[in-house]
Amino acid sequence: MAMEQATLNSIQKTIWDGHLSLSITLAPSESRKFDQTDPYLISYPRISYLPSLLPRLKAFFHSSLIDPAAYSPHDGWFSFENVALKWHYPVGLLYDLYAGADPATKSSDTESSSSKDASLPWRLVVHFSDWPGEELVRLDAQGMVMHDAFINSVKEADFIRNGTAKGIMSLSKDDSSGLWKAVQDVDLPAFQRIMNILLPSPSQPFRNLPIRLFLPLPPKPSSDSPSDSSPSLKVIQSPIPPTITLPQSQSQMSQSIILPPAPSRNSPGTGSPQPPLHSQPQTIGSVLHSILPNLFPSRRTPVLAKPVLHGAAVPMSASVEEVVRCSAYGDGWVYIVVRMMG
Amino acid sequence: MPPSSSPFGRGTLSIFPFLAEDEFEGACRALLDRVHAAGNANPGWSSIRLQRNGPILKISQSFPRGSEDLQNDALAQPLDQQDAQDSRLEACEEDSEALVRTSDTDETLQVDYDIVLSPSYQVPVLYFVLRQADKLLGVDAVYRYLVLDRYRENIKSVGIMGGISFGYHPVSGTPAFFVHPCNTADAMRDIATGRGIISPETYLIVWLGLVGNCLRLHLPSNLFAEDGNLRLESNN
Repeated sequence: MAMEQATLNSIQKTIWDGHLSLSITLAPSESRKFDQTDPYLISYPRISYLPSLLPRLKAFFHSSLIDPAAYSPHDGWFSFENVALKWHYPVGLLYDLYAGADPATKSSDTESSSSKDASLPWRLVVHFSDWPGEELVRLDAQGMVMHDAFINSVKEADFIRNGTAKGIMSLSKDDSSGLWKAVQDVDLPAFQRIMNILLPSPSQPFRNLPIRLFLPLPPKPSSDSPSDSSPSLKVIQSPIPPTITLPQSQSQMSQSIILPPAPSRNSPGTGSPQPPLHSQPQTIGSVLHSILPNLFPSRRTPVLAKPVLHGAAVPMSASVEEVVRCSAYGDGWVYIVVRMMG
Repeated sequence: MPPSSSPFGRGTLSIFPFLAEDEFEGACRALLDRVHAAGNANPGWSSIRLQRNGPILKISQSFPRGSEDLQNDALAQPLDQQDAQDSRLEACEEDSEALVRTSDTDETLQVDYDIVLSPSYQVPVLYFVLRQADKLLGVDAVYRYLVLDRYRENIKSVGIMGGISFGYHPVSGTPAFFVHPCNTADAMRDIATGRGIISPETYLIVWLGLVGNCLRLHLPSNLFAEDGNLRLESNN
């Protein structure tokens, strides 16, 4: 059942090769050529972070800015349809959250290319003034704030995997900053060398799985007091062990209670005698079902919503530990966007 | 201190030195009950409440700017002498109006603490924002007004608690400071060793002594008037 290491490596390489077309315009209120500024176009790695574009964007829009000398690159922030984008999330996650694109599936090459065109290139706005301090943590000229946020996230994922922070604490200073550089440079070999120090060997199970679910809510309009309005997305996380142990009868019963009308839930073979307890690897479906049972009444089939990772619908049967090993973002986390169907 | 003298009731912690979600919520409720029971006693806080979405134990307090001159010993006491007039305590659950802005003057600082159980570290984490006239203040002001001298070097040098970062609040998604929690479990284990069985509430109170004290979040001593044997300050 477990995938070959070569398969995992090839999935990881595909993810690191993934790019998004971005079309970035300057906020009209900051442009001396109101509404006429050419967009900055780039094919940008999905796993990268938006602020790394700021030096290039500041240079590109220099002559368009009303007061170019007043701002530094690190004053820059991004918005999509008036939603300020959290820079500490990789751009691929932000796209999956906000762009409204249908995720790729095995069959989507033929059927949904037209809907893809509607959301690509992803049209973003860059601002260099009016930092939304109630919504975004400010950046600094040296990039220390981004580095700190990245390493805190790496530490958190490491703690979840191992139950201690000793792994990341024992990482040399060179390797610690090397990990951030490898992600910034999209340098997969350098990343893998350092991650192999952090990740337990495949024979050694994780303590828990670093996975977060993102439930998008309708974007809220900017207001003067954003702290009083509801957040535009809900992030859900709870401790997820790599295997689940269920009494066989209980798992069957709960499924039949939750989903009476759905046919053929039990795979062939469950009718044969079973031990009273069975332990199985946590799948994407079992995690979603345990955390969001109303949205994911079945562990096997997406009924009301589907999980999206790196722009693709993740198979419900995928082992989460394998997904963590090959499909995590650079900080070690699997960020799954829950997308409503229909 | 003899282990048997714990005054905070019974109850064992299932994953000590970590704290489970139901234990965290129970601890918050027990602490709220204790504040209720203290009645008119002034804890120096302008509000304390439990928000079910999270859950989050939310504590607010205001103090006059300039009181950093009263560093150390004076601040180890509740702030009741300093802003008695503003300390309207509201201890209630699910009260959306519980947050009391105690003063509009520019000379008053307000700090809003949110205590959240981290699902990653499985320990409570202290998030907070510091405001002056509704404007968010930065890390320099945090160190100046909230961190006592005797903890400053410890925190800045990534000492026992691993420092203060500016990040995103896990529930509201808005920017907030937090005390990095990756060493909290080890510290809790060190402190609790020899104290025998500790209850969820004791865990939270010890944690507040460990983390809150560094950031001017002091448990009012009168909450424990009858429990003279527990001196949280001695943990630091």
